[in-house]
Amino acid sequence: MRKHATFAAAAAAAALLAACTEPSQDPVRSYAGKEDAKAYSGDAFRGDKAKWEAALAARSGYQNDYAPFRAAGKKP
Amino acid sequence: MARMKFICDAERCIECNGCVTACKSEHEVPWGVNRRRLVTVNDGVPGERSISVACMHCSDAPCMAVCPVDCFYKTDEGVVLHDKDLCIGCGYCFYACPFGAPQFPQAGAFGLRGKMDKCTYCAGGPEENHSAEEFRKYGRNRLAEGKLPACAEMCSTKALLAGDAPVITAIYKTRVTTRGKGEEIWGWAMAYGGSDKLSDQSGGKA
Repeated sequence: MRKHATFAAAAAAAALLAACTEPSQDPVRSYAGKEDAKAYSGDAFRGDKAKWEAALAARSGYQNDYAPFRAAGKKP
Repeated sequence: MARMKFICDAERCIECNGCVTACKSEHEVPWGVNRRRLVTVNDGVPGERSISVACMHCSDAPCMAVCPVDCFYKTDEGVVLHDKDLCIGCGYCFYACPFGAPQFPQAGAFGLRGKMDKCTYCAGGPEENHSAEEFRKYGRNRLAEGKLPACAEMCSTKALLAGDAPVITAIYKTRVTTRGKGEEIWGWAMAYGGSDKLSDQSGGKA
């Protein structure tokens, strides 16, 4: 009898907790427009993604104005 | 690379509007449309802060979720773009966007709205890269040239950072840990060094 009660309690707890899950309510959206070319597919990089990423990474690094100080071993 | 983002460092932004001007100039954005603008909090009060705001290219973009014609898409780099040929100018994205990024040119009399226009992260749109059509609809495609957005590259104080999220967050982290926080990062000492008191500065008056 006690075994049944434990099982019923566990089942009830599981049923209650099931309401706590959060399934996605967003509808699956798909893009309906024209396809866009890859950024690295043009004349500048000719499909070389690695080269394009390296170019962007280099330019991103220029924004770090502490870098020259660090490279020179000075305190900014 | 999958997360191209902007970060605006409010401690560095001097409200010069260079980013706004760079964007307008680079893309020849029509009159009445501002893809980027500056927001200042406590304007004129010591300690005021300004930030440069445009489309933040959200990871889970609300504009994409509400668009009734599904004209939005996200590039492999995480840039949120849209197809102007599909846009019906309904304005749902404007209401959904927490940054007020979508802009609508006035297309005629009686407040008629044109197709939505917003920051493209200088990545153009769904037209042939560097074509006249792409420039007319979306502006210049700097990303395809291996360059970062014009607003960030123009920023004189490097307040506005653009690039891959891990890279620019690392730059921002370096700044924050180097300069500290609190009162000492605003005012005389931050700008010129030395004591925070004006009377202690050479040539200063008590």
